Amino acid sequence: MTETAIWNFRQLAHHELDGFGGIGEGMSIQIAKDGRRILWLAHESAPKNFTAVDVSDPRAPKIVARADLPQSHMRSNSLETVGDILAVAYQTTQQGLQPAGFELFDISVPENPRSITFFDCSGPNSRGVHQLWFADGEYIHMSSGAPDFTPTHPRDDQFYRIIDVKKPSKPAEVGRWWLPGTRQGDTEPPPARHPEGADTGFRPHNTNVYPERPDRAYLGYIDGGMVILDISDKSRPKMISRWDYHPPYHGFTHTVVPFFDRNLLIVSDECVRTEGADWPKLVWIVDGRTESNPVPIATCPLPPLDHYMRHGARYGAHNLYENLPKPNAWKSDRVVLATFFNGGLRAYDTSNPYQPAEIGYFVPAAPERAPSGAIQINDVFVDERQVVYTVDRHVGGLYTLEMDF
Amino acid sequence: MSEVSIPSKWTSEAGPEGLFGGKDALLFGRRQRRARGPRLPVIAVTGFLGSGKTTLIRALLDKPEGANTAVIVNEYGEVGIDNALLRSSSDVTVLLGNGCLCCNVRTDLQETLRGLFADRARGAIPSFERVVIETSGLADPGPILQTFATDRGLGREFHLQALISVVDTVNGVGNIARMPEAKKQVALADRIVVTKSDMADAPTTGHLIELLGLLNAAPVGIAVDGEIDPSFLLAEPPTPQRRFDLGGVEHTHGLCSFALIFEKPLCWAGFKQTMAVLTALRGPDLLRVKGLVAIEECRGPVVVHFVQHVAHPPVELEDWPDGDRRSRLIFVTRGLGREAVAQLFTDVAAIAARVPGPDAVGK
Repeated sequence: MTETAIWNFRQLAHHELDGFGGIGEGMSIQIAKDGRRILWLAHESAPKNFTAVDVSDPRAPKIVARADLPQSHMRSNSLETVGDILAVAYQTTQQGLQPAGFELFDISVPENPRSITFFDCSGPNSRGVHQLWFADGEYIHMSSGAPDFTPTHPRDDQFYRIIDVKKPSKPAEVGRWWLPGTRQGDTEPPPARHPEGADTGFRPHNTNVYPERPDRAYLGYIDGGMVILDISDKSRPKMISRWDYHPPYHGFTHTVVPFFDRNLLIVSDECVRTEGADWPKLVWIVDGRTESNPVPIATCPLPPLDHYMRHGARYGAHNLYENLPKPNAWKSDRVVLATFFNGGLRAYDTSNPYQPAEIGYFVPAAPERAPSGAIQINDVFVDERQVVYTVDRHVGGLYTLEMDF
Repeated sequence: MSEVSIPSKWTSEAGPEGLFGGKDALLFGRRQRRARGPRLPVIAVTGFLGSGKTTLIRALLDKPEGANTAVIVNEYGEVGIDNALLRSSSDVTVLLGNGCLCCNVRTDLQETLRGLFADRARGAIPSFERVVIETSGLADPGPILQTFATDRGLGREFHLQALISVVDTVNGVGNIARMPEAKKQVALADRIVVTKSDMADAPTTGHLIELLGLLNAAPVGIAVDGEIDPSFLLAEPPTPQRRFDLGGVEHTHGLCSFALIFEKPLCWAGFKQTMAVLTALRGPDLLRVKGLVAIEECRGPVVVHFVQHVAHPPVELEDWPDGDRRSRLIFVTRGLGREAVAQLFTDVAAIAARVPGPDAVGK
């Protein structure tokens, strides 16, 4: 697309992050001691680790800090902050490499992040941490490998781990769960693989835990569908339900966001192939009234494939705004904000969950140096001021917006 | 003997709000920041032939505020939006020089709007964020008002933001006197634009504005060569005025305009039943009713809009636009006066014993 398509959003600013505008799936707001509002962004791939942007004035974002990765064979696609602690996920390109795990930083001076500790997850069968959830300041819930974990299939190398970080200098695992059959030694048979080329693994992507239900973890389990876990005993998570809609769908369940008060679950897929090869990748509305039997009731409407697939790179669902249980995050149990790569950022009203209605979109023009020639909107965050932050996966950097619906 | 059916109170229990509404179940869906919610705003411009509609629209499109507009015209006029701004042309939709779209309505308006929305959604035409409709000179605005309420497909996607009546100083007074359509265009408008004031003397313009004030309390703006503050055309209409001057019948030839004010919140069932009686018995004479209503069951004020027998879906707003929390309803009717309507609200209130009657005249 050569021109920005925008409806019911107002663009406030665009910052290409000085040529390092490829942003992953970590976006977190810190209010610094001096009152500045700092947005911490995880880079999608090497060489950069994370970038901190002062967004106090969302019309004039300013870079305040940026860190490089120690190795080019790693990425830090995910991060979260709680207070002045920043947690960053490290994943290596191949199993057995280092450093793989997560690092905690003291960011009380945003310009000068100081490492507190590194929690090592490396091992012969581990690539480390792809994604972490850190909201309560006490536990990190993550998708990670481990030195003692040998999967039945190399693509199932990551699983759900709960790490106690109440003492940030001494993180310690308190519980873990994997889909039965994916670890060597399991009595259950390994799950049937998805077809070659579409086999993206039985492993978690997002691992969300909310204060409304501290005894539940909501997992997008990639090729395994959606998983709800009972974590009332963190040392022994138990599966309550698994909603697996693959096949016929192409796998890669990504995020599960509960709308607790309304008994709904919003579930996103991730599109991982270009030009519509894994179409459709959707945002699902799931009836969660009976948590042991989740029932899909609708999907969010999308423009037809034939238009967007021609624009290059990926077109389909990816991240959702996750109603982060933090003071500086917006909460809505009616509006869904979702990113769709070259389909941009889209907003839906789920008041009638049987017929979610599109109420806005923002599809920026392709950045000048976009390798695919297309925008690839990757993730979205909304702060309590209702300022929307969205990022491009490759070069476009950060866009700040207001909602106007 | 047939069973007597008692109309039930509007209840959310039967719908998705009952299943999935949570603690904050809403009567009318998600609370909106404004009456149009997320829907695409439609600005309909009425006015007699030669009143200056096209000039007004063309001047708007020339401004930055007019960008991203799709224009629907009934016929290409002599002034010609097409000649000045046309960039490329297809059968129905043309792309104007400023990136706006222009459709020549050869078919039904609803079909054109639906086609525009679908083409936009699939990326076949540029993304636009509003629609301006130039109606033909003799158009009765009633059906246009109804289009956005009756057609489920349109009512969900489009919202009639403003009905704008263009009246020229040279012919305005005569048209209003002779042509019922001209009078109705003025009476139903949300805003009135007076044109060609440079071609008449000040007393003539003053007389026209006075006459317009008798027909409608809507804001009046003056455009010279189509030039007027774009926000006068594009902004959200103000909430219905509390003060409302009712013109004498001798000036309005049977058209009545009046306001009802309610001090206390209404219960939805009582309000709905009162309006049901009015629309059932006098629907054809209920040219337009719009208002902002405090409903007992709702936290925010509710925007209501009726055109003859048709009710637009109510919209609950997040908050009141100002400190005045009283319900206000503006009526434009044919031969149905304020006293009868106010009495009906009072009578239903007495029966329901919950709906407070109107206690202030807008005058």
